[in-house]
Amino acid sequence: MEVVEGRLIPKPAVIEDVVDEAPNVRTFYLRMPEGYPEPKPGQFNELYVMGVGEVPISVSDVTQEGLVAHTVRVAGRVTEVLAEASVGDVIGVRGPYGRGWPIEQAVGKDVLIVAGGIGLAPLRPVIRHIERNRAKYGKLTILYGARAPRHLLYKYELEKYASIPNTELLLSVDKAEGPWEGHVGFVTDLIPKADIDPERTIAMICGPEIMMRFTIKRLYEVGLKDNQIYLSLERRMRCGVGLCGHCQMGPYFVCKHGPVFPHWFIKKYFWVEQI
Amino acid sequence: MVSGGIYSGKFGELRKLFNALRLRGYRVIAPKLEDSVIRLKEVTSFDEVPYGWEDIQAPGKYSVREGGKHFRHGPDAPKRILYPPRLELFRLRPDWSVEYPKERFPPTALFAIKPCDLASISVMDRVQGGIGDPYYLALRKKLIIIVENCVEPGATCFCSTMGTGPEARDGFDIAYTRLDDDLVVFRPGSDLGVELLSELNIEPATDEVLRKYYDALKNASLKAKAPFELERLPDELELGLNSPVFKEVAERCFGCAGCNMVCPTCFCFDVIDEPELDGGAVRVRVWDGCFSYTYAEVAGGNFRKDLWARYRHWVLHKFAYWVRQFGVFGCVGCGRCITWCPAGIDLRETIKSVVEWVRSRGGS
Repeated sequence: MEVVEGRLIPKPAVIEDVVDEAPNVRTFYLRMPEGYPEPKPGQFNELYVMGVGEVPISVSDVTQEGLVAHTVRVAGRVTEVLAEASVGDVIGVRGPYGRGWPIEQAVGKDVLIVAGGIGLAPLRPVIRHIERNRAKYGKLTILYGARAPRHLLYKYELEKYASIPNTELLLSVDKAEGPWEGHVGFVTDLIPKADIDPERTIAMICGPEIMMRFTIKRLYEVGLKDNQIYLSLERRMRCGVGLCGHCQMGPYFVCKHGPVFPHWFIKKYFWVEQI
Repeated sequence: MVSGGIYSGKFGELRKLFNALRLRGYRVIAPKLEDSVIRLKEVTSFDEVPYGWEDIQAPGKYSVREGGKHFRHGPDAPKRILYPPRLELFRLRPDWSVEYPKERFPPTALFAIKPCDLASISVMDRVQGGIGDPYYLALRKKLIIIVENCVEPGATCFCSTMGTGPEARDGFDIAYTRLDDDLVVFRPGSDLGVELLSELNIEPATDEVLRKYYDALKNASLKAKAPFELERLPDELELGLNSPVFKEVAERCFGCAGCNMVCPTCFCFDVIDEPELDGGAVRVRVWDGCFSYTYAEVAGGNFRKDLWARYRHWVLHKFAYWVRQFGVFGCVGCGRCITWCPAGIDLRETIKSVVEWVRSRGGS
C-alpha cells in the first residue's frame, strides 16, 4: 500500500533567466511544471534544491511568457546553494500558496504600497497588475526604502514606475553612499510627504516587522483605519500548507491564513512581543 | 455507536479478550515494561502487559514498582504509533520522478490505553485527520481501541479537569475497569466491541458492582483535578499574554522540547531532505517542537528567540489557539509534560498563576 504526503512533493522547474538585483539578491525566472496554477500577487512558492532543502519565496513577477520570478536574498543554507544556480538548471517547486494582496477589494480605490528592502518583491506583482489594469484603480503611491541605493531592487525598472499614469514614487535609503536624490532616513518618513487620500486608500505593506509597525503608526496619523491596511508576514513556512506548525502567529498559520493579512484581523497578536 | 450496558467478569476475561484480538489478526499495541519504563509497544502475549505494576509519577519524576494495582502510562502516547516520530515520505530520483515507500498498515489494536490517550486520538482525528494525513488515516481506519478506565490517577494527572477521564466516554470499542484483583467491568462502545465481548464469560453488572464502579470512578475523578477551570480559559490566557508568569517559569525551563515529544497531541513536524549518492534525495518527516530554538527561526532572525516566548507559545497553543484552530483543547490532561520535564515544571501551576494574574488586574 502506498501512502504518502503528496502535498509535499516538489516538481521540477527550469531556470530560464537569472538577474542580479543587489548585493546577495538575485531573481530567478522559472518555467513552471505543467499544471502549476498562475500565482496571485502576494502568494509564495516553496523552492527546493535537490537534497539540500526548501525555502518559501514570494512570487515577484509573472512575465507575459508565463515565467514565474522569485527574488531571493542569500541568507541561509538553501539560498546559498540556490544563489549558485544558473540558466538551464532545474530546481523543485511547490505552490502557489497562501492568500495574496486584496487586489479585488482595491478596485476603484487608491493603492498605497509601502515596502522595505526585499519586501518590494511580493508587491511588485501588485504594481504590474495595476499597470496592466490601470483604469480599474485610482492613484498608485509607491514608497520604497532600502539600506542604501545599491540595495534597491529592480533598479532597471524602478524609475519607470513613476511614469505609470497617476502614480507617485518616493524612494528612501538609510544611507546615501554617493549621489542620491531621494530621501535619506526611514521609509516611514515618506508617508507625510506623499499625497494620500485616507478616504479612498488601501495600503499594502511588506518589510521587516519593525518597519511595518512604524508604518501602521504613520498611516494612522494620516487617517487610515485598520481595515484599510494589509501586511505580508514572514514566518518559517516549512510546509506551506498548514500542516507543520512552524509559521504560527497566535492562532493563525501564516502560510495558509496569510501571508497577507488585513491588519484588523491580526492586530491583537501582531503587536505582542515575540508572539 | 452502541450505547453499551455495563457487564462484569473475572480478570481472566481480559486475557481472553487480548487473545481474541490476536486471533483475529490484529497487531496489538499495549503498555509494556522496558528498562523500568512503561512503553507503548507491540505485545504478543497478555503476560507482557504490566498488570501488577504501577508507575509513580510526580513533576520531573517517574519510576515503576511491582506490587502496585494500577499502571497509568509512560512517555509513549498513541501519537507514536499513528503519527511516527520519523517517517520517510518519498524518494525523489535524480530525474525528479517519485518513488513511494511501500507501507504496510496491519489492522491495529490499542489495548489497555488510558482515557486521556483515547481523548488524544479524538484530538488527532481533528488535526491529522482533519488535514487528511494519509498515513494517519490509513492506520486509523482499521484501529480498534480497548481502553482501561483509571481508578487510580497519578499525581500529575488532570484528566478530570480536561473532561477526558478518568472514565472513557466515547470513541472506544471496549472500555474496561479493574475494580479489584478479580473483578473487571466491561462496557462496549461499538458493534465490534459487542461482538468481541460476546465471546467472553461476562454478565450484566449487579447493583453492588455498579455501586462499586461508580464510587471508584467518582473518587478517581476527584483526584485528577487541576487548579483551574476550562470555562473561559482560552480568553483568560490570551488576556495573560503579557503576564510575567511565563518569564518566571521559563527561568527553570531547559528548552529541551521533551514536553513536545511526550505530548500526545503536539503535531509539529520538520521536513528533512537526505541526499542520496545517485543525486536523488529522500524526504523525511520528523517530529519537531516549538521549544526548539530553530522552530521560529527565519533567514533574518528568530520570531521567538527567547525561551519564555517559546514556553508561552506552547501553553497558549494548547489552551487557547488550539481551541480557535480545531474547536477543542490541545491538552488532554495526561500530565506527561509535567512528569517528563527534567525541571519538573508543572503546567497546572503555570496556568493557575496566569489566570490569577489576569484576574488580579480585573481582566476577567
